[in-house]
This record gives sequence, structure tokens and C-alpha cells, in this order.
Amino acid sequence: MGHGRWSNDTYDAAAHYRRARGESAFAYSDSGARKVHPRLDPYRVTLRESRDSDEHPRSTAIAVLFDVTGSMGHVPRVLQTKLPGLLNLLRDRGYATDPQVLFGAIGDATCDKVPLQIGQFESDNRMDEDLGRIVLEGGGGGQRTESYELAMYFMARHTALDCWEKRGRKGYLFIIGDEMPYRNVNAREVNAIIGDRIEGTSTEHIIAELRHTWDVYYVMPEGSSYAGDQTILSTWRKLLGQNVIELEDLDAVCEAIGLTVGLGEGVIDLESGLTDLVEVGSGAREIVARALDRRWV
Amino acid sequence: MSHFAVVDLGYGDAGKGTVVDWLCANESVSAVIRFNGGAQAGHNVVTPDGRHHTFSQFGSGTFQGVPTHLSRFMIVDPLALAAEAQALGNPYELLTVDPDALLATPWHRAANRRRETLRGQDRHGSCGLGVGEAAAFSLVPGSEPPRVADALAPGRLRARLRALRDHLTDELGPLDGPCIDDFVDMMRDFASVVSISDRLPTRDGPCVFEGAQGVLLDEWRGFHPYTTWSTTTFDNVLELTGDIVRIGVVRTYTTRHGPGPFVTEDLTLSYEEPHNGTGPWQGSFRIGHFDAVAHRYAIEVCGGVDALAVTHCDISVPAHCDAYQGMKRIVPGPFRDLEYQERLTRELEACRPVLTPGPPPIGQLLGAPVLVESHGPRTNEKKRP
Repeated sequence: MGHGRWSNDTYDAAAHYRRARGESAFAYSDSGARKVHPRLDPYRVTLRESRDSDEHPRSTAIAVLFDVTGSMGHVPRVLQTKLPGLLNLLRDRGYATDPQVLFGAIGDATCDKVPLQIGQFESDNRMDEDLGRIVLEGGGGGQRTESYELAMYFMARHTALDCWEKRGRKGYLFIIGDEMPYRNVNAREVNAIIGDRIEGTSTEHIIAELRHTWDVYYVMPEGSSYAGDQTILSTWRKLLGQNVIELEDLDAVCEAIGLTVGLGEGVIDLESGLTDLVEVGSGAREIVARALDRRWV
Repeated sequence: MSHFAVVDLGYGDAGKGTVVDWLCANESVSAVIRFNGGAQAGHNVVTPDGRHHTFSQFGSGTFQGVPTHLSRFMIVDPLALAAEAQALGNPYELLTVDPDALLATPWHRAANRRRETLRGQDRHGSCGLGVGEAAAFSLVPGSEPPRVADALAPGRLRARLRALRDHLTDELGPLDGPCIDDFVDMMRDFASVVSISDRLPTRDGPCVFEGAQGVLLDEWRGFHPYTTWSTTTFDNVLELTGDIVRIGVVRTYTTRHGPGPFVTEDLTLSYEEPHNGTGPWQGSFRIGHFDAVAHRYAIEVCGGVDALAVTHCDISVPAHCDAYQGMKRIVPGPFRDLEYQERLTRELEACRPVLTPGPPPIGQLLGAPVLVESHGPRTNEKKRP
């Protein structure tokens, strides 16, 4: 049983009603909140779980973590408007079975009040609600570094995926941002923000651990502060190899994610994926083609 | 206090919207009340400055600032309603919905389309929005169909949706639909902006009851099986209030959307039809000569009309029909006798019209005074004869 078109229609209707009520999708942040919402607080979370269920028997875990500082503060708002399109691609086009999406936000543990926010794996409109609870920082350190390594530590040690445990298929983790991770996972920050007591470890080490269960991608949208910054890009390339995606337009982010998942699942090749984009009425074909070509051709 | 009730004396598309808009502009009207059908209504209104909207669930008095009440006889489609409200600038302050009104859901729509596809060539000309499915499910013995009030009780709504989905998939196989929880969440958002109230606005002042579709498509009085799952006569209005002025709407020619008997159809006729096209589910838009025989039957089965509203008076028509060959009157059968209605269908399919040259003298042909004539789609193109 497909959920595609109707989910999008249902989702659109819900968004219309909410907008009519005069409530921003980011009501929590817009209300002035400067503390992580309890539902998104990573502190002392044992596991975020992506599990199979009767309704979703073959779950596919997808996580989207994004930088919410400085010039990246608008990313969640764009994601929010593009979310139906992403679900449409994943479900209607069969790019992934039973996608379960987790959203999270990354700040800077050295200076932001909300350095890490991690939602739950959701397969329905609640993922939209998680987006709505994210606190948008707008600050950032201005040192071209954010606490990506802290987020990657959480994803490596505090997630459990049925797609991996039952079927040996990794989840898809996308990190959207325009800066670099710190070199090391700081034990004091991990303790303060996540609640674990660990020895400090290198970012490289935690990424190696993370990649046991996740295919990890870094997406850098152009138009952000450090777009095209070769130091940042080469740092990520050293860490993630070819899984670094430069995207000319943030508006195409959901299409880029969707196609990357479809390609990873072996459901499409790049050409048929790009044709799908045209068929679903997306104007992002060229941008996605250029972004993914660099990786896949 | 008298209210107005507006029904279409044909197969729909006669111009109820423009007549309701005119009534709201010229009478002191406190509300428009929908009393049948659902989102498949498509009532076009064009303001003098050219603003156009096809009213579907919001009443056709909305441009005049007149509130709409969707009564318990209405089948409410929350997905379509959100889209329509947005197109109108979200005038939710002008809307109240009865808690007992049935909900049309994606599962109804999917079932509706599946069934029409299975019928192949024998399609009934449904709009594909699942209104009939919602009505049909509510009549299944023991069923508890989802209703507007359930928006406020998520647990109950979830259980009802599950039962509905299982019922339909047992019959038709797997159907496409959203996650039930998504729909339940959406209805919570629906209830946060839509006022749910069983209070009829009839005590506030004169109301206009806006009918959907046409009397000749009525579930019991139409030409079976080419009918709708809805009561298109005044019967529902009379359950809501007693004192009504009955207004029947006709064009200066007769039209029909989709399959079914249409005695005066003439393929050589072609009038400009900016708002009616061929829908994928309801079939082509058909045009014929003014069919006084069929319209008189409509008047008879809905218990008479007090006045007529005639639209498309700006079209110059070559002829009209006052009798069929060998038949002057379609004789109404016993109420709720579908076998009789099916015989009528076969009889009419064999009928040939007798054409009289010239435009129809409609008041005289139908035996009722003409209240208003429409010479164009805009509000200011109406006049009293």
C-alpha cells in the first residue's frame, strides 16, 4: 500500500490549516525559546531508534542534521517547505522502503546555548513537528568550525537501526552545513551535552565508527558564508571521501537527498533519477545533476 | 421568515453559484447553507472586477462576505477545504461546520476511482472525490463513519478510519492512502481553525440554501444508475427549516457532464464554456437544446418551484424542446423505486426530441415566474425581467 500522494496532500492540508491559524512552523523558536525543546534534547538519551513496525515493515533510516548558526539559520525553513517533495520522491518513486526520517540541528558547543538538537525517527507528519521545535541559533563562532563531531558522536553511539540490524543496510546520514568539525570529540562537551563519560577521541575515529552503520554525506549549499571554501571542502573530503556534495541552490536539497538515497539503494541510476525529477515537476534537475555528477560519474 | 433554496433543475452546471451570489448581493442574507453533496460542487462566481472562484465547499456568497454553514447533510472534504480556503485568502471566520457532517477521506477517493476504473466503459460519471463512497459507507449497517466531530477525538477518529480503510480494502483490495496518523493529525489542525457548530444560522435572518449538482441526478429521482449519492431536491432543506422560497435554476439550453440519458443532446451545438471541461473521472461536457420535458419532470419530483433563475441569456440558441416524439411528460414513479428509474433511463435513451425553432419562453414552458436572468458570469450582469 503506497502512502505517497495522499501523504503529501494530507501534509499540505495540515500545513495550510496551521498557517491559517497564524502559527509559524517554527513556533518554538519564534516564540523566543533559547533552550533545547525536551523532545529534541540529546542529554541522557539512550538510543534514537529506527524500528520496523506492522505499518512500516522494512524501515529505511534517514537522518538530516544541519547547521543552524549564522548564515545557515534558514536551512530548516527551506527543509520544512521542501519536505513533502522529499517524501514524495522516497515513497512514490520507491527510492526507499518505509523511510523514517530524523532531523537534528548542529550548533557550536564552545559558544552556542543549543549546540545539539536531535529529533526522533518519524515516518509521518511528526517529523515536521520536530522541525518546528528546533531552536534557530543565528550565532555561531565565526571560526569556520561547528560541533559537527559532537553530532556524529551521538549518531554513532546513540542510534539503533533495524535496516542495519535486520537487513544489513546502512542508514543515510546527511550533514548540511558550511563549516568544519573540530578535530577532536571533546570529553567535557560530550559529558555536558549528551551525558556520557568518555575519553576524548579524534573526529576521524568517531567517523570511522559512525560509518559502520551509516552512509555519511556532507552537503555544502552555495550562498552560505563559506561556500566553495577549499579548506573546508578538503577537510570534509579527507573525512568522507567522495561523499561531499556541493549544492548550488539550497532549494534543491530535498531532491539531492532523495536521489542520493535512491542511488544508494540501487533503485535508480543518476539519469533515471534526473528524469524522475522532471516527471514530478521539480525544477532542480540541472542543479542536482551538477551536484551529484561530481560524485557518481 | 422566508429562506431561499436554490436547486438546479437539470444535471448540474446551470449556474447556481452565480444565482446565490446575486441573492446575497441583493437581499439581506445572513448565511449560505450547504445541504447536500460535498467538494465535487463547482459553483463559479465572477465579481464585477473580474475576480473568479469556483466555489466547492465555501458557499457562493463568500465574495459578498456572507458566512457559510456546512450542515449535517454535507460531506466535508478537509483536504479540498484547506486548498479552497487558501485560494480565498483563508476566510475561516466565514465558516461553520456541523459536527455530524460526514468526512470524505483519501480512502473514499481511492475507492471511488478504483470502482469507476473497474466499470470501464460503463462509468457513472462520478467526480472521483469519494463523496458517494462516504455516503455509501455511512449506510452500511453497523458502520461508524468518520465525522467532523471526530476531529476533536483523535482516538475515535483513528479507530473509525481504520475500520473504514479495512472495510474498503476487504472489498476492493489494497487502496492508496496516507498514514492514518497523518490524517488524524491533519484533522487536529483542521479543528484548530474551523468552527465546529451544530447551530443553524436560520434564526439570524434569511438564509440561502445552496444545492449542489442537479435534481435530474438525484439518488432516487434521477435516471438510475447515472445519478449521484445525494439528495438534490428540496427534501434536505425541508428537514432543516419549513419556510422556503423554492428557486429552480436552468440555462437557456441544457447540458450534462458525463454519461447518461440526454434526449436533446446535439453534437453540432457549441457554446463557450470557460469553467467546464472534461474531467478525468466525470467524462465529457455535453450540450443540448433546452429540454422542457426533463426540467418539468425535475420540478414535479421536487414538489414544485416558486420561481426560476435563468442563466446564459446572452447566448442565442436556435431551438428548444417542449416534447419528445410520443412523449410530453416523464411520469414520476413511486418514491425510491430504482427499478422504475432504470426503466425510465432505457425509455429516455430511445427518445427523440421534437424541436421548436427559437429561444425557449422558459417561464411559460415550466409554469413558474422568472425571478432573475443572467446575461454573463459577473454579479452585475444579472437583471430582473
